[in-house]
Amino acid sequence: MDALSALLHGFSVALQPMNLLWGFIGVTLGTFVGVLPGVGPALTVAMLLPLTVKLDPTGALIMFAGIYYGAMFGGSTTTILLNTPGESASIATALEGNRMAKAGRAGPALATSAIGSFVAGTLATIGLTALAPLVVNLALKFGPAEYFALMVFAFTTVAAVLGSSTVRGLTSLFLGLLLGLVGIDSQTGQSRFAFGVPELLDGVDVVVLAVGLFAVGEALYVASYQSRLTETMEKMKGSLLMSASDWRRSWPAWLRATAIGFPFGTIPAGGAEIPTFLSYATEKKLTKHPEEFGKGAIEGVAGPEAANNAAATGVLVPLLTLGIPTSATAAILLGAFQNYGLQPGPLLFETQKDLVWGLIASLYVGNVILLVLNLPLIGIWVKVLEIPRDLLYAGILVFATLGAYSLHQSWVDLLTLYVFGLLGFAMRRWDIPVGPAVIGLILGPLAETQFRRALSISQGDPSVFVTQPISATLLVITAALIVMPFVVRHWGRLRRKPA
Amino acid sequence: MRRSGAETALSLGVLALGIGVAAVTATLPSEGGYAGIGPNFIPAVVAAGIILLGLWLVFEAFSGGWRGAVPDDAAERGEHAFNAAAFGWVSAGLFLQMALIGWAGFVVSAAVLFACVARGFGSRRLVRDAAIGLVMALGIFLFFVKLLNVNLPAGWLAPLLGGAGI
Repeated sequence: MDALSALLHGFSVALQPMNLLWGFIGVTLGTFVGVLPGVGPALTVAMLLPLTVKLDPTGALIMFAGIYYGAMFGGSTTTILLNTPGESASIATALEGNRMAKAGRAGPALATSAIGSFVAGTLATIGLTALAPLVVNLALKFGPAEYFALMVFAFTTVAAVLGSSTVRGLTSLFLGLLLGLVGIDSQTGQSRFAFGVPELLDGVDVVVLAVGLFAVGEALYVASYQSRLTETMEKMKGSLLMSASDWRRSWPAWLRATAIGFPFGTIPAGGAEIPTFLSYATEKKLTKHPEEFGKGAIEGVAGPEAANNAAATGVLVPLLTLGIPTSATAAILLGAFQNYGLQPGPLLFETQKDLVWGLIASLYVGNVILLVLNLPLIGIWVKVLEIPRDLLYAGILVFATLGAYSLHQSWVDLLTLYVFGLLGFAMRRWDIPVGPAVIGLILGPLAETQFRRALSISQGDPSVFVTQPISATLLVITAALIVMPFVVRHWGRLRRKPA
Repeated sequence: MRRSGAETALSLGVLALGIGVAAVTATLPSEGGYAGIGPNFIPAVVAAGIILLGLWLVFEAFSGGWRGAVPDDAAERGEHAFNAAAFGWVSAGLFLQMALIGWAGFVVSAAVLFACVARGFGSRRLVRDAAIGLVMALGIFLFFVKLLNVNLPAGWLAPLLGGAGI
C-alpha cells in the first residue's frame, strides 16, 4: 500500500498544470521528431535534451517521459508507412505493418499500433509501479561489489550477446568505455585522456556522442549511399477505424505482447528487440489466419508494437531503481538525470520521492496523452513524412549541431561531433553496433566508481567480487555468456568431425 | 576467400588505438589509497581490452573477413556506390558552421549548414534551401534564446535581434 500512496502523491505532482503541459509538449515533440525517417528514439531523446537545460528537474523529466513514449510511437508510424525501420525494435512491425499499408489498410495498422501502445504502456507502467519498490528494497542491500557485477553483466549482454558479432559489439562497448574515461577522474581529480583541452576535462557528453553517432553519422551515410535512390511511401487510404474483427484479433495480441515485453525490458537484454520478434513469432503461431502472415496480418502489427512499448517501460525499472541503463535510449535518459546532479537508484526513491513518483505517474498520463493526441493527429504525422529528404536531413543536422554547441558555446564541441559522425559513418558501413558505445560511455564511469569503492572497503582485497554470493553469481553468468558460444561451436565441430 | 582492405585497415586501427591508450595510461599515476588501485587501473583494463579486440578483428580480417559482415558491394546492400561529392558537401557544411558560428552567429552559420547538407542530398535549389535554413534557424534561435534561456551567439544579426543571445 505504500507504493499506492506514493503513486497518488505522484499524480498530484504530474497533474499540476505546468507539469501536464511539459508532458504534453514532450509527447508532441517526441512524436514529431520520432516520425522523421532515420530518427530513432535514442536520437530523438538526445536531440531534445538541450530543450530542458533551464527547466526544473521534475518538469524536465516529465517532459522526457513524454518524449520517450512519443518517439516510440512516432517511429512505428514511419515504419508502417515507409518500411524503413528506424531501429531494430521496429523491424518486426515493418514485416506486417508495411504490407497492411500496401494493401490500403494503413489506417487500422496505425490504430492498432496506437491503441496497443496505450494498452501495453499502461499495463507495463502498472507493472513498474508494483515492481519498483520491491527492486528498491533489494537494491538497498547491494554494496559496491554487487553493483559492479551487475553493471558488468549489463555491459556483456548488451554488447556481446546481442547483435550480429560478439567481437564488433565488444569493440563498440570498449570505445564507449574509453570515451567514458576522458576527463577528470572523480576519485582523485587526476585528468585522463583530455590532452589539456578544456572542453574535454568535463568528459565526453552523451548528447554529443549519441547525436554524432546517430544523426551526423546517419546523415553522412545516407548522403553517401542512399541519397540518389528514390523511395516510395504508402498513402493513407481508407478509414482509421478498426473493424470488429480487427479488434477481436488485436486485443489478445496486445495482452500477450505485454506479458512478453515487460519482463524482457526489465532485464539487461538490449531493450525491445528480442521481445518484438518473440511476440511476432507467438502471434504467427497462434493466429487463426496463418495465410495472412506475410501479407499484412493485423496481429503481426498489434503484437510487436505492444511488446515494444511494454519493453520500453520495462527498461525504466532497472534505470530508475538501480541506475543501470540497458538500452541506448535509457543511457541518454540517465545522462539527463545526471545533468541535474541526480543519480537514479534506490536512494533516489528516498531522497527525491516527489520527482520519482511524479515521473512514474506522468508515465500513466503520458500514455493517455499519446492516445488522445495521436489518433486525431495521424493525418499531420503523415504530412511530416512527406518532407523531402534533402530538407529533412538539413534540418536534423541544424538541430544536432545546436544541441552540441549549446553545451559550452564552443566550436570544439562541433568538431567532436563531426569526429563522432565519422565514427558513426564507419560503424554503420561496417556493421558495428553503436548502442554499446553509448551505454559504455554512461555506464563505464559508474562501474569504475563502484569497482574502486568496493576495493576501498575491502582494503584492496580483490576477492570481494567472488566471495559475495550475488556478485559472484553475476560474474559467473557473465563469463559464461561470453565463453559459451565458442564452446558450443567448437564442441559442435568436434562432434561433427568423426561422422 | 573474401578479403576486404577496409576491414583490415579498421582492424589494425583498433589495434593501434589500443596501443595508444596503453601508452597514455603508462603516464598516469598509480597510487590509489585504500583501494590499492589508482586512476590508471581501469584505463589499463580498457587498453588491454581494445588490444585484444584489435587482434581478434585482425585475425577475422585475415581469415576470410569479418564474420557476418555486410556485403562490400553497394548494390548487394540495395544502395548506390559511394558518392564522394555528397559526403563532401555534408562535411563542408559542418566545417563551415564550425568556422562561422563564433563571429557570424548561430542563424547565419545554421543557414549555411542547411544549404550545404541539402546540396549533399542532391538539391539544386541553393537560394530556396538557404532561405528555408535561414527562417528555420531564426525560429529556433528565438525559441531557444527568448523562451528557454539558452545562450546562442547572435553574431552578424545582433543589431536586428535586439540584444538577444550573446
